[in-house]
Amino acid sequence: MNVLIIGNGLAGTLAAKSLRELDPDLGIEVLGEERHPYYPRPNLIEYVAGRLPLEKIFAFPEEWAARQGITLRLGEKVARILPAEKKVETAAGAVLSYDALLIATGARAALPPVPGVDKKGVFVLRTLDDAHDLIAYLEGHRRVAVLGGGLLGLEIARAIRGRGADVEVIEFFDRLLPRQLDPAAAAILRAQFEKTGISVRLRATTKEILGDSGGVRGLRFESGETLGTEAVVIAAGIKPEIGLAADAGLQIGRGVLVDDRMKTSGPGIFAAGDAAEHRGRIYGIIPAAFEQARVAAANMLGQDKPYGGTVPFNTLKVAGLYLTSAGEIDAEGPGFESLVHSDPAAGLYKKIVLQDGRLAGAIWMGTKKGAAEISRLVALKRDVGTIKQALLEDDFDFTEIP
Amino acid sequence: MDKYECTACGYVYDPAVGDPDNGIAPGTSFEALPDTWVCPQCGVPKDLFVKVG
Repeated sequence: MNVLIIGNGLAGTLAAKSLRELDPDLGIEVLGEERHPYYPRPNLIEYVAGRLPLEKIFAFPEEWAARQGITLRLGEKVARILPAEKKVETAAGAVLSYDALLIATGARAALPPVPGVDKKGVFVLRTLDDAHDLIAYLEGHRRVAVLGGGLLGLEIARAIRGRGADVEVIEFFDRLLPRQLDPAAAAILRAQFEKTGISVRLRATTKEILGDSGGVRGLRFESGETLGTEAVVIAAGIKPEIGLAADAGLQIGRGVLVDDRMKTSGPGIFAAGDAAEHRGRIYGIIPAAFEQARVAAANMLGQDKPYGGTVPFNTLKVAGLYLTSAGEIDAEGPGFESLVHSDPAAGLYKKIVLQDGRLAGAIWMGTKKGAAEISRLVALKRDVGTIKQALLEDDFDFTEIP
Repeated sequence: MDKYECTACGYVYDPAVGDPDNGIAPGTSFEALPDTWVCPQCGVPKDLFVKVG
């Protein structure tokens, strides 16, 4: 039996690893559009920041794939999938047969529909080659605007600032991390960022990236204001790579549609990772890609292993601060009550949101103490009416709650 | 004692440092971590770590 995997990112690589563990005799071939072997994508941030040398970016030693009996075809773009013939044709003209196929094409960086995005000096950070290009450009260009105040945008801003560049983060919403933080917590985070020399501009819609043949010169906002900048990094979310699946006639939504066995609508064709849409969701997070890859691998070999979704790991580290965000974080109205404990100078902010005395949500920023416990209590919607004030104390003993 | 790297996100477990936030004392070898321990950065399980020496 021969299995073909399109994509050598996390889902594709970990699927190959799982397949090999399940079946020592299976033929496994991985087609990667990038010319580099697999690397964990978060390492790109460390690399751009100058904290991780190039040779340490990769997850496995160079000889790993060969030793595992996995055929890696790097730098090979797939032109099309031929589901009726169970074949894949590469852009270079090679035709490969499969018994089972995994679409692990991942996602690309989403680009806003703004004039000038094609100018020299506009970057995304999705691949190792993107990182190389960005680092090279920063050598001669020291003023950088980062479009997007979400997690990736903030990490990129910090990495670039670490190289000594002047950085301004541009966010469309009225606060940083609008999905994870309420306005008060976001203000504390912003202050922490500004302390490191990173500027933040909120409520700003970019209308145009200005420049000439020499490259980017600035940004023009909807308000009419402009900002002089020499480089722009776009961190505006991801877009699943579904072109091959769509062309092959597979059912697609925003991603490639899969059932609970990670199976697409095509015979013997599975999908996993950022390209896959499961029960209406595209996760775009590491643990989901990993779980989907394992489930897909098992089912590709004829096992019957269901995937029931992934509960996001909700503690993150952003700008050196721990951040846990769970449930309703900014709810108002009848029945809702919010309690806050905060120490802005220390970057500390703790908040619980109660609905009729039961925990409906929480933000824990600047500390990890009690973070796992509070997330669990939120998931259980525990009644904490009598201890709500004590919960926010630094020395609260969560073991007291049964 | 060897360091181990998470193949999913790149986090490096250093036995000398441990993972105090999650109750793992400095000096705990990777092998001695409980099976329930997960990558503190991305949440994947222990078997996705490789030795980095």
